Amino acid sequence: MNLAGLAVRNLRRRPMRTTLTIIGIALAVGSALALVALSRSIEESTRESIDELGIDLTVTQKGAPDLFGGFLPEKLAGRLSEIPGIASVAGELFLFAPTENERQILVSGWTNAEHTVPLREGRVPAAGERQVALIGDLTAETMSKKLDDKIEILGKQFRIVGITKYTSTVNRASVIVPLADLQEVAYRHGQVSMFHVDLRRGESTANIDRIKRDIIAIDGVSVLMSNEILQNDRNVQVLKAVSLSISIIALIMGVLGVFNTLLMTIQERTREIGIVAAIGWSDARIMASIVAEGLMMCVSGCVFGVALGFLIALLFPLIPRIGDYIHFRPTLALIVPVIGAAFALCTAGSLYPAWRATRMTPAEALQRA
Amino acid sequence: MPATAQLLRLEAVKRVFDNGSVVALRNIDLRISSGECLAILGASGSGKSSIINMLSGIDRPTTGRVYWKDRPVTSRKDWSALRANSIGIVFQEFHLLPTLTALENVEIALFGKGISAHERRVRASKSLDRVGLIARQHHLPHALSGGERQRVAIARSLVNEPELILADEPTGNLDTANAAIIADLLFGLHQAGKAALVLVTHNRALARRCPRCITVKDGEIIKDRSVALTAEPEGVSS
Repeated sequence: MNLAGLAVRNLRRRPMRTTLTIIGIALAVGSALALVALSRSIEESTRESIDELGIDLTVTQKGAPDLFGGFLPEKLAGRLSEIPGIASVAGELFLFAPTENERQILVSGWTNAEHTVPLREGRVPAAGERQVALIGDLTAETMSKKLDDKIEILGKQFRIVGITKYTSTVNRASVIVPLADLQEVAYRHGQVSMFHVDLRRGESTANIDRIKRDIIAIDGVSVLMSNEILQNDRNVQVLKAVSLSISIIALIMGVLGVFNTLLMTIQERTREIGIVAAIGWSDARIMASIVAEGLMMCVSGCVFGVALGFLIALLFPLIPRIGDYIHFRPTLALIVPVIGAAFALCTAGSLYPAWRATRMTPAEALQRA
Repeated sequence: MPATAQLLRLEAVKRVFDNGSVVALRNIDLRISSGECLAILGASGSGKSSIINMLSGIDRPTTGRVYWKDRPVTSRKDWSALRANSIGIVFQEFHLLPTLTALENVEIALFGKGISAHERRVRASKSLDRVGLIARQHHLPHALSGGERQRVAIARSLVNEPELILADEPTGNLDTANAAIIADLLFGLHQAGKAALVLVTHNRALARRCPRCITVKDGEIIKDRSVALTAEPEGVSS
């Protein structure tokens, strides 16, 4: 027998209380893991969707809180094109729009779809063609749409002429329509959300910096490399902060269960603590034996919690509407910090009851009923 | 160490409770020598258990000092080390851990001493064997009789080969037959080994078996005799 064996023996004396505490930790770890994984998945998916478009620079409204919150005049494209080193400029308007069956979909109004869109089937819209749409394969699947079907966006019907085959979930779930059509139905005449800027191949870093300076010199705009977009997106930052906060709160609540259980334990076992103190156990050993009980519950809670995280990830796609577009999977890189935080909090939560157990003299402890 | 070397000394030890309204011990001076056998006799509430608490360090004096081999013992850590290595305690109420077997109850006294699990088990078994309880080593305390539980407690106090055994009313919760067995066991172990034995009791027959007997009343030592008692001490039941 050792301290761990003794801890297990003690925990089994109150099986219901121990089980409930472990369930509390498992729920905390599972939900924290799922939340962090979900947040990371949304961020990754958005980043992939931007990378997939192969954009060099993105020009947005200066001070816009997120990708959806800023608008620029479409005519600015001409000024941007005049900057030396820029190969092409394309304005894009995008927004979440209501579609059939009370769904919301991401709709993008593009001017140069024919250059960059990978197609699974169908074709890209011809120049100047109106009231047509390219839909992502995921949207086609979830809305049971095929070529030549109609799709309703903001109350207008668009004929499906192509189905795209992007790899990122965001792009697979989006719909592309001609920019002019989207501006019209969204009452955003002459406006775009951002400009995609492609640079001439082989531009030096110094030249790219100069191009960025030239763009910034235009009043009211900011320019970002594609990998900087999410860092400046308030929605993504809020999502990360909220998921992290809720995860921490969940973990703290789980640990409060451990704290409460151990406080009750030392109240009930004061006399036994007095016994081991009387036979020569040091304060450190007594504290270690109590912390060991806390960590035992933490280990069990983390095992079940990780399993719960995977279960949530497995069941998430079954959630109507949202589940079609968002998938996540807890990875080792996410599990390790969550479990590390749970262990750190459990240790901290166990130390106070353990410390309290050693505050009285063995004689006082032995006199307790 | 010579047989009469000083082991433990209480010097002007006073213990009060409730901000001084209850005085358990008043200026106790007591010396215990190596290998000595001493009985502390007194009525209930006289302070004899408080003396044991001071001698074992499981309680601390309000004033006064306690010395182990002429060195003052003041910290919890020092007292823990002494109880782990040099002092064994036997309580009236046995104080065994209910979830552990007899063997494990003895084994836990060896925790934290750098002894392997196997060696701990061997030493605990030997200690149980010394008190004649090896056949019951895998029983939980609730499956043992009162006498057997006290023998487990004695085995636990012996497992570290202490220099001093403190027994606080070891037969107080036992019937006559078991009390005799435990008393014989304690005195037999004392005679067989080198450990000093301090026995708290209000049983004068038991006290008579000790070469030295002190009598405690109202928190003070009122008699300290180095011969067997011939008369019933004041305020002591038979």
